[in-house]
Amino acid sequence: MRLLIVDDSSIMRRIIEKHLNEYEIEIIGMAADGNEAVDLVKKKKPDVITLDITMPGMDGLACLDEIMKIHPKAKVMIITALADKLTGLRALDKGARGFLYKPVNAGDLAKAFDRLLKRNENK
Amino acid sequence: MKTSKADFDATCNLFINSVNNYFRHLTEIDSKLNVPYLKESEGLVLKDYTGMIGISGNRKGFVYISANRDMYEDLIKIFIGIEDPSDEDILDMAGEISNVVAGNVRANLGANFMISVPVVFQGMPNQLKIPDDVSIYVIPIIWNSHEAYVVIGLQ
Repeated sequence: MRLLIVDDSSIMRRIIEKHLNEYEIEIIGMAADGNEAVDLVKKKKPDVITLDITMPGMDGLACLDEIMKIHPKAKVMIITALADKLTGLRALDKGARGFLYKPVNAGDLAKAFDRLLKRNENK
Repeated sequence: MKTSKADFDATCNLFINSVNNYFRHLTEIDSKLNVPYLKESEGLVLKDYTGMIGISGNRKGFVYISANRDMYEDLIKIFIGIEDPSDEDILDMAGEISNVVAGNVRANLGANFMISVPVVFQGMPNQLKIPDDVSIYVIPIIWNSHEAYVVIGLQ
């Protein structure tokens, strides 16, 4: 599985990278904003994308719209601090396959990726 | 128009819960709260590194979390195992905490409590101007023997 990590926080990108090391995941890139993420999706067609919402420039929800246009098979997991239900529903409506609220620890990521991988196997 | 004290207390409690949840969930070390106070004199309470979030939508103002380098160093060590983080890492950590604490408050206040991307700074920037028409609450916290300030300014 090839993963793209999108978050404007460098610390957060490295936390996700560290916690997902035990999975058979190849991290094919990291992006700090939506525009950078869209470029990487076009070039590298990742299988899975972790996507923050609050980012400078193109935010995560606008980025999700672009990703669904250019690479609709990508499985996007939103990882955001925005803990209201409406934002979660909007993201799922736009095509996100999973949703995690920050703060996110190793256990949260493991459960979320287990669910995502099981869904992959069933398809 | 300033918010009523009851409204403001309720909002402060949301931030206190959000801060407590952040530290407990990620570090398994609880933060302790000192007595919050309303700041009336000029000037800001700041530690060495600060992450500030602008608030718009239903409420307008800001929230920031400010702490010294050693607190951020401890967090970065716990999170990614780096012993000697760069200044850039410290500022990034300051921004990420403030983003998570402010964003989590939307669980209660809803999507119209809109937050900006973090603005991060070291020390006291000259150009930092705080509007006169906001009430400023200061919540001193202690986490892992480090003191930090959660400061909320809302119209």
